[in-house]
Amino acid sequence: MTALRAEVHQVSKKMGRAQALKRVDAVFGAGEVHGIIGPNGAGKTTLIRLLAGLLHPDQGQISYAEEKDALSGSQAKRVTGYFPQEPSLYPDLTCEEHLEFFRDLYDLPQAEFAQRSEELLRATGMTPFKDRPAGKLSGGMYKKLGLMCVLLNRPKLLLLDEPTVGVDPVSRQELWDLVYGFAGENMTVILSTSYMDEASRCACVHVLSGGEMLDSGTPKEVMKRFNITDFSEIFLNHESK
Amino acid sequence: MNFSWRRARSVALKEYKHILRDPFTLLVTLVLPLVFVGFFGFVIDLDYKHMRVYVRDNDQTSVSRRFLQEAASSGYFDLKPIHGQFQLDQALERNDSPALLVIRRGFGKNVRAGNPENPGEIQLLSDGTDNVQASIMGSYMQGVVQKANAVFAKDNPDLTDAAAGAGERIRSRFLFNPELNSRWFIVPALSTIIIGFLAIVLTALTVAKEWENGSMELLLSTPVRPSEIVLGKLVPYFLLTFFDVLVVFLLAIYVFQIPFLGSFLFYMVACWVYITGALALGLVISVVTRQQQASIQFAFAVGLLPSFIFSGFIFPIENMPAFFQYFTALFPQRWFLLISRTVFLSDAAPATLATALGAIVVFASAMILLAVHKFKTDVEP
Repeated sequence: MTALRAEVHQVSKKMGRAQALKRVDAVFGAGEVHGIIGPNGAGKTTLIRLLAGLLHPDQGQISYAEEKDALSGSQAKRVTGYFPQEPSLYPDLTCEEHLEFFRDLYDLPQAEFAQRSEELLRATGMTPFKDRPAGKLSGGMYKKLGLMCVLLNRPKLLLLDEPTVGVDPVSRQELWDLVYGFAGENMTVILSTSYMDEASRCACVHVLSGGEMLDSGTPKEVMKRFNITDFSEIFLNHESK
Repeated sequence: MNFSWRRARSVALKEYKHILRDPFTLLVTLVLPLVFVGFFGFVIDLDYKHMRVYVRDNDQTSVSRRFLQEAASSGYFDLKPIHGQFQLDQALERNDSPALLVIRRGFGKNVRAGNPENPGEIQLLSDGTDNVQASIMGSYMQGVVQKANAVFAKDNPDLTDAAAGAGERIRSRFLFNPELNSRWFIVPALSTIIIGFLAIVLTALTVAKEWENGSMELLLSTPVRPSEIVLGKLVPYFLLTFFDVLVVFLLAIYVFQIPFLGSFLFYMVACWVYITGALALGLVISVVTRQQQASIQFAFAVGLLPSFIFSGFIFPIENMPAFFQYFTALFPQRWFLLISRTVFLSDAAPATLATALGAIVVFASAMILLAVHKFKTDVEP
């Protein structure tokens, strides 16, 4: 079991009348934590949904590979976990009921599920809140529950759309720790964020603005190339052009 | 990936929990049938009794008085005799009666003579602005005529049998519901309306709700298949709607004392198919609109309106223009209504209802296929 590598090649996508993505290129190396950064409306959600197989590119291709083996879109979808930005859990179902629901959707054997959910509950510190309905969870706990649901399946590619929006700073730190805890040789993580201070936490950043990919690389490389000390300067400079 | 019963079951289980925890859905499903039965079964009474009828007896013989006595004792009419043109004009001006009964001079003589060529005649002038009442009154009056004929025949044994029947112009007998009791007619049909409305609305909301609260996006990123979601959503609402059908059935039998003469098994099978079709139609609406509000509006348009108008519940289909008679065939409500009324009130062999059952089977299958087919596995607009 190894992490998935994803490659986006010259992808364009129109959402309604807006050109959400324009000939975007990006390589998401296996086993790393990738951050797609950009202001609101940059096309981050569209790119993540394309990677999740929930949208189809107008032009260009998206390819997935496990080590040297290429995977088809539907093969990749089976080993991809995706948690959307918008609230998407059932407010009336408890944490435990959510986990059981996803257990069945992923067709996990009970023994594996028991071990995995125990592990996840412990890692997230959510064990005391097992019986609380999702609608009564705080912002940070809500995201943790969503993360647990998609992590049950041990995805090889984890897609998180703005996981830290609406989450307090302490919980944000916890979420990042969790993401780093799970990423590694078995899982690639691609997340999007509009908090520029979070860019430097990623192993690799992909700078998206107005549907165009401006740059990719380690946070240091990117800052050096743009000659900046803070990521928000990229967008301030880019948009004033 | 193949169809997974486990995933379908988990969707059903989740839906079941939603229903239990949403007091609104539960309340609507449990209360609606009672409201419908209460409203149509008790409040609306299409049986007209004690209708005021003005009587102008120009014959004034013992025969005409005997006839009027017969009409009064039927209980359907309150007879108000009027004398002379002035009173007649006054009565028409007051406009407080649906009909005027005129007995011509010579009525008694003709009846006694018993000549089939020249029977005793009465004239009933009905107010056509209320056509339902007018036609009901007409049929009641025929009943009175029949009874009166029998009485006259007994009073006058000299008449031959053929002559005794001479006054009787129309012979009609109402089979299966001899008294034309409207409750017998309406209550068995209520299941049609309740399923046709409730089932469609219930499922019309479910998929749209998942789109609106964002859970659909998460669901679609899992391996779950449209057919599994469709089945998972059908089952809990099927049980809920079927429960309502049983409630209406028991009320019909035990509260309204309506006979159930047909095949119970056949009726149940028809119910199951019809419920499935209605639920699947709701899913199709939900899958296509993705919005709860639009879904509700659609559900009213294709659920509630046809249930009342195109099913034959209010307007008899035989009286519709030819085009609409064919048009109503598109709606399963029409076929199920036919089945319900027939199995309650007659012991007709199930084979006679094969077309009706076939029609709802076709409808239900088409809706399920459409729901699965239209179900999108991505979030493209």
